[in-house]
This record gives sequence, C-alpha cells and structure tokens, in this order.
Amino acid sequence: MMTFLTLLFKILVFPGFLFVTVIGLLLAGIDRKVLARMQKRVGPPIVQPVYDFFKLMGKETIIPSAANKAAFLTAPVVGLVSLVVLMLFIPVFSYSAFSGSADMIVVLYLLTIPGVALIVGGSASGSPYAGIGISREMVAMMAYELPLVMVLLSVAKKAGGDSLCFSLQDIVAWQAANGCGAFHWSLIPAALAMLLVIPAEVGTQPFDVAEAETEICEGPLIEYSGAPLAVFKLNTALKMFVMTALFTALFFGGIDTGIVALNALILVAICVVLTILCMTTVHAVTARLKVEHLFKFYWTTVAGLAAASLVLVWIGL
Amino acid sequence: MITYAHFPVLAVMGLFFGAFLVEIFGSRSKAVRNFIAIVTAAGAFGLIAALIKPVMLDGEVISYWMGNWEPVSGYAIGIGYEIDQLGLFFALLIVTTFLLSGFYSLRYMERDHHLGHYYTLYLMLSGSVLGLSLTGDVFNMFIMIEIMTFAAVALTAFRNESRGALEAAFKYLVVGSIGSSFTLAGIALLYAQCHTLNMAQLASILAAGLTPTTLFAFALMFTGLAVKSYIVPFHAPAADAYTTAPTSISMVFSGMVNKAGVYGMIRLVYVIFRAIDLPAMQMLLACFGTVTMFVGVTMALAQHDFKRLLAFHSISQIGYVITSAALGTGLGLTGALFHAMNHTLFKGLLFLCAGAVLYAAGTTDLDRLGGLSKRMPKTTVCFLIGAFSISGLPPFNGFVSKWIVYQSIYAKAVETHNFAYAFITIVAVIVSVMTLASFIKVTQAVFFGQLPASCAQVREVPLSMRIPMWIMSVLCVLTGVFYDFVNEHLLHPAVKAAFNATGYIDAMMGEGYAAAAGVANVEVAPVEFSYWNPILWLVLFVVMLVAVFFVILTGRNTRGRVLEETGAPADGKYATYFSGEKSMPSHVGGSDLFWGFKHDWKSYFTVMQGAHSGVVNDYALWAVFGGAVVMLFMFTFLR
Repeated sequence: MMTFLTLLFKILVFPGFLFVTVIGLLLAGIDRKVLARMQKRVGPPIVQPVYDFFKLMGKETIIPSAANKAAFLTAPVVGLVSLVVLMLFIPVFSYSAFSGSADMIVVLYLLTIPGVALIVGGSASGSPYAGIGISREMVAMMAYELPLVMVLLSVAKKAGGDSLCFSLQDIVAWQAANGCGAFHWSLIPAALAMLLVIPAEVGTQPFDVAEAETEICEGPLIEYSGAPLAVFKLNTALKMFVMTALFTALFFGGIDTGIVALNALILVAICVVLTILCMTTVHAVTARLKVEHLFKFYWTTVAGLAAASLVLVWIGL
Repeated sequence: MITYAHFPVLAVMGLFFGAFLVEIFGSRSKAVRNFIAIVTAAGAFGLIAALIKPVMLDGEVISYWMGNWEPVSGYAIGIGYEIDQLGLFFALLIVTTFLLSGFYSLRYMERDHHLGHYYTLYLMLSGSVLGLSLTGDVFNMFIMIEIMTFAAVALTAFRNESRGALEAAFKYLVVGSIGSSFTLAGIALLYAQCHTLNMAQLASILAAGLTPTTLFAFALMFTGLAVKSYIVPFHAPAADAYTTAPTSISMVFSGMVNKAGVYGMIRLVYVIFRAIDLPAMQMLLACFGTVTMFVGVTMALAQHDFKRLLAFHSISQIGYVITSAALGTGLGLTGALFHAMNHTLFKGLLFLCAGAVLYAAGTTDLDRLGGLSKRMPKTTVCFLIGAFSISGLPPFNGFVSKWIVYQSIYAKAVETHNFAYAFITIVAVIVSVMTLASFIKVTQAVFFGQLPASCAQVREVPLSMRIPMWIMSVLCVLTGVFYDFVNEHLLHPAVKAAFNATGYIDAMMGEGYAAAAGVANVEVAPVEFSYWNPILWLVLFVVMLVAVFFVILTGRNTRGRVLEETGAPADGKYATYFSGEKSMPSHVGGSDLFWGFKHDWKSYFTVMQGAHSGVVNDYALWAVFGGAVVMLFMFTFLR
C-alpha cells in the first residue's frame, strides 16, 4: 500500500504531473517574457501560459464534421500521458522515480509519442492545412531523430566504456564520479547537437515548420479549440521542460547536493538557462526554415556535430 | 496408440491430403470446400499447438523416422522429421498465420471464381511451409521449398484478370527458381561430400571442419535461402507478388513464406554449419540485414499503393530479423525471433486491414482513398494498432523486440570495438522512424482526412473478416505487455535450441553421437530484460485513469455543445476551416505527403528507381550477383 502511495505521489506530484506542468508552464512564460524583452516589447506576465490554459479549458470544443471524433479527442491526452511518463524515466540528478535497466531507448521512443499524437490528432481533423502540417511534422521528426540517436549513443559509449550502458541512471552516476558530460571535450559537439535538437523537438521558431502560424495556420492544430487545444498547448510547454531536463541528465548529471528539493531547484535553474539559450535566443534572431532546408540542416550540420562526438568517443577520447 | 511424436507428420500430411480432397470434392459445393479447407487448417493448428507442452515446456526434442526407416550402420538413409524448440517456434507462427488467413479468405475471396483451386493451392502452400520448418532432412527441405515456390507463384497469379498479376508471378517464378537451383546445387554438393542428407548427421560431420566443397555448398544454400527470405538484392519480385496476390495470401507470404527462408538461414548458419561464431559470417549477415532494412523502408516511403507499401515493409522488417540474428549472441537471437514473431502478427494484421480496404472500397491506391475511418471505424482501430506496433511505439510488441534488437547490436559494438555495429544501430533506429513516417502516410491517406465521393458508399467489412483482425490486434498488445511470459516460454527455449547443436544431433542419431563427432554446445544464459516491471504497469494504468478523469472533467464544460455532423448548423461552424473561402473537399494524402523529404533524397530515389526497373532480367541478374558476392565473401573470409 505504501509503495503504491509513493508511486502515486511520484506520478501525480513529483517528478510527475504537477511538477512537470508547473515548471513547463513557467518555462513557457519565461520564454515569452524574455523573447518580448529581446524584441523591445513589454511582454505578457510570466504566468500568462497558466491563464491561457485555464481560459482555453473553459472554451467551447468544436469538433469539425469531417473529423474522426475519437482520435481527435484522445490524441492530446495520449501525448500528455506520454510526456508525464517520460519525465518519470528521466533522473533528477541522483533521484529517479523509475529504475530500469535500459531506459534510454524507452525515452527515445516515448519522445516520439507526443509528435505522433499531434500527427494523429491533426490527421483526424480532416483539414487540408493539417494534412500539410502533419507531413512537415513527420519530416521534422525524421530530421532530428538521427542526431538525437547519435548524441544518446555517444554519451552511452562515453559513460559505459567497454560495457553496454543504456541506463540514464548509470550515465548520471558516471558523471557524478567523473565530472559532468559537458566538461568532457569529446562530448561538447554532442552537447551542441543536442542543443539544436531541443528546439526542433519542441517546435519553436525557426524549426516550427509544422505549426507555421503565418502560412498554414498552426497546421495540425488548426481545427482544435477549447480543452483539447489547451492540452496540446500544455504538451508543448511540457516538451520544453522534458527536453531540457533530458539535456541536463545527459550533460550536467553530475551535480548532486544530496537534497532532493535543492536538486529539483538546480534542475529548474538549468532548464531556464537552457530554454533562454536554445529556444528564446534562437527564436528571436532567426526566421522560419523551409521543411527541406530543415531536413538538410539536421542531417548534415547537426548530425555532423553528433557524429564527430561519436567518433571521438569511439576512438577513446 | 498415437502419441504426440506423430503429430507433426500428421499435420503436414493432413494439409496435403486436404489439398487433394478440396480439388476432388470442392467443386461439388461451396460448403464442402470451405469445410475441408478450414477443418484441415484447424486440425494442423491443433496438432502443432498440442506440441507446445512436450517440446516447449518440457524441453523434449521429437525425432521421427518416416516409415520407421532408422539409420543403417550409422548412416541416416530415411527421411527424418525433427522438431526442436526452434522449429516448433516457427511452426507455431506458420499455423497461426494460415489458420487466420483461411478464416479470412472465406468472405474475402467470395467474389472470385474457381475457388476450389484457390483452397487447393492455399493448403499446399501451408503444408509445404509447415513441412519445411519441421523436417530434419535437407532434401526434404528442398522439396518443400519447391512446393512452396510453385504454390506461391500460382497464388500470385490467382487474380490473373488484374493488372500485373501474371507479370508478378513470372518474376516470382524466375527469381524463385534461381533460389531453388542454388539450394539444390548446394544440397547435391553436400550429399556428394558427406553421403547423408540428414541435418543432424550433416551437422556432426561438418563439425570436423569445412572443405572448399562444403564451403561452396554452404554459400550456395545460403544464397538459395536468402532468395526465399527476400533480403536485398533478392527482394524485387516479392514486392510485386505481395501486391498482386489476393490479400489473404499476401498475409501468408509475409507471415510465413519469408519466415520459412529466415528459419532456413538460422538453421543453416546456427546448427548445420555452425558458422555463426565466425566474425566474418556475422558481418556478412549483418550487412545483408542492414541494407535490407534500409532499402526496404526507403522504397516503402516512396510507394503509393497500400499493399505495395506493406510489401516493402515486410522486406525491411526481415532486415531487422537478419541483422539481429547475425550477432550470434543469445540476446541477438532472442531479438530476432521476437521480431520475427511480431512481424508475423503486425504485418499479418496490416495486410488484413489492406484487404478489408480493398474489399470495401475496391482499391488500395493511396491517392484515391481517404477518410475511411468514418466508414470503417473498427478496421481503423485494428490498423492503428498494427501501425503503432510496426513503428515500435510502446507498449506494443514491436517496441519490445526493436528494443532488444538495438540493445543487442550496440552491445555487440561495444564488446567487439567494431564501429560498424554502432553504425548499424543508428541505421536501425532511423529505419524505425521512417517506418513510422510511412505508416503516418497510410493513416492520413486512407483512414483520416476527407472522404472522397467515390468512397461515400463504403461499408465496414463483415464480421468473419474482422475476427482474424481482432485476434491479431489482441495478440499484438498482449505480446507487447507480457513480453516476459513470451520470452520465458517461447523465445528462450527456441534460442537455447539454436545454440544447442548436440541436443539436436543426439535426439536424431542417438545419445553420445555428437560428443563422438566433437560437437560442443554453446551455453546460453536465460536472457532477462525489463524495460518496466509489472508495478510500473500498474502505475501507468493509474496515470491513464488520471488522464481519463481529466478528460471527463474537461468534457463537462462542453457537454451538450459538442454537436455531431447531423446537427451542424448552417453557419459552417463545424465545417473545415478554409480561410474564409467556401469549404470544399480537398484531401492531402498519398504521394503528396513527405515531398520535402523526397526532395532532399532525390538522387537516392533516382538510383533506387533505376534499380527497381521491373525488368525480370535485371532481377535475375541481381539474384545471381548477390549469390556471387556471397561466394566471394565466403571464400575470402571464411577459409
């Protein structure tokens, strides 16, 4: 009974649903505020995403007549569940909710589910704008998956040495013993590649080809309104946190104060810095890419960075 | 008294006998014909399923000499059937596939003529593939391959009024015959060298070492079986055959006919020649597997026919199986067998869904379909389960097997310090994403999006077609959730059997025979894997409950306001958004999707288009070229 309650606490409060939601919405708010300041605007208050979420929750849900109702409504929830589960697999420094022998590939695959949920939801809406949007989302997914895999494999090889190490906890433990991943120079290209993967995974400008408000009117989200839209917006905010937390686990996992609450605070601080660094700043200074350019960019430049790291790690540096 | 030792032979004989009965009595009435076909298929299923207890659970190996013709002065002259756990594992996949396919055929094929011939060929095909997986005699194996090939060719051309059916059958015939000839030549050489055709005895004789002749025989048989499992570069006719054959048969092709080739390769490499310990052999298989999975999936991305797309995915997924089996580790073979099983389940399911679409809408052209989820909701659910399984999304079965495959390949890379395996791991993951992409394309082009006027009258398929689909769907989920159970009772015994050559030889030739010939076993520790344990499943269930609760809570806001299409008011609120223009039917699907990707890969696709010319001479050339590469490689590196 006690273990069940503990698990329930982990899922619903920390590091599960409540924690992820609050921090995710906070990150989204900070992103908007800092972006506005960079563009010399006043910007919304930092809690604006929370207001937006509750406002959308109260709005009417319109299901277009061309839509498949079941898929249209379940898709956002499936994405949300997978993101919460994902956070349970990512260790917060030495603390981790679930322990598995090989959670890296689980993380890799769980990361695709929010994207798939967006695609299935958009597809189910029956809109041609959504049709274009899902096609772009899928191409973007293929684009960033290659560097992401290489980043994960290089970190795994660096941490594991001559034995197989796919467990994020082992990677974090290795960093606690040998210094953070980002301080090993052979992993720096991988860290840079990962920094570029984050905005594509979250779908912020210049990699927001799928949603592209100005040309295809938010693509997959075009027919969404009310609560399902709120959940999709929440998913985007959660992705920000989950991706930056994954980066922290892979490259700054060695920090450990021994106090879980303090660790969580440090994690949030790192996530805020990462959000401003790789999402807000990049957003402020660039314009949207075309989908074929995005694909080329990820399979050449970003994959090249990750491959450099992989090769360096493999020759033992 | 009939003991279970007779069951395998009865199952194979029963199917062949049923084929004759259908031909003789089937023309009288439809009911008799269907009755004979289903009863023989179900009988074979029952006989093989009855062997799970003695073979899989109790670890017995059944040996059976036809006509009680036991070895004379140490030489096995008669035909022996030997059923170990590896053979039974594939036999189980085979019987499940053909039973469901037969059941599905009853309604699916009802609009065709000359169905007596159809069921005759279907039973011949089933019997031959089952025989192939159970036999312990290489020449008997060749005979089964021949029956299989010719039944498959005839079935490919069964709907010979449809475009391309005869052409596909001809390609299949030519390339399939090349494969059979390679196999026969290899068997002849082996017989000349070893004076026996019994697999167990061959294994013990070949344990002494390979002579150039036996190595040549190995290369020939390897190529022959590679042709039968349609790995690249032997894959081209498979794509045509899977597309034009009736869909119930496409399912049989991808569920068991190419598995027969895979089984043959595993048996050949692991047991008969025991060459899997050699790094060069591992590399050869891994290269074949990697190229197969990559070429298969990229070609699938470019297709715009539902069945043809699935056909290329069959090729691609076999690449996973071969790559994983190539590693020669317990974990690798576990992944290979698990993926082979899952491929049978989800690809069978997907082919059945394609058949349902063809039955209901009359076409599988992705450019002419759309929005069928409103017309065929149950088929859509089955399709999504199959698509998520093949794309490897948790918690479906494809995820678990792919997870083992990646893990085993990368473990191999780390252990051997071979960067090639790390590269293969990356390719495997990328292929998985591309698999997802091409199924997103099918989802959008066939089931979601807008309903074209030509599909407005489409109706859901009858129940007897949906039942096999549901069975497959449920199996896809169950094997994904209870993977531990599957591993313990099906995979691990089969993996152990593949590494346990002495057990295989002794069961056939008598106790101590293998030890006398100097064959040693490879001990395989039970493979344990857990990506999450039952308690986490409980937890996940709670998360789902919370999510559902959440939806109910939010749903309350909109209750009474969510209107169905019938209640759509005139203001167009429920119409699709068209930036203020009048809403009109427009569907993004089929070949329009992923143009950005195709644009970036233009040069690659141009080369691939040239290679898949559709000219049978080219394909025959590819097959011979593949065989030459295998021989060259083996003579260079395996000596």
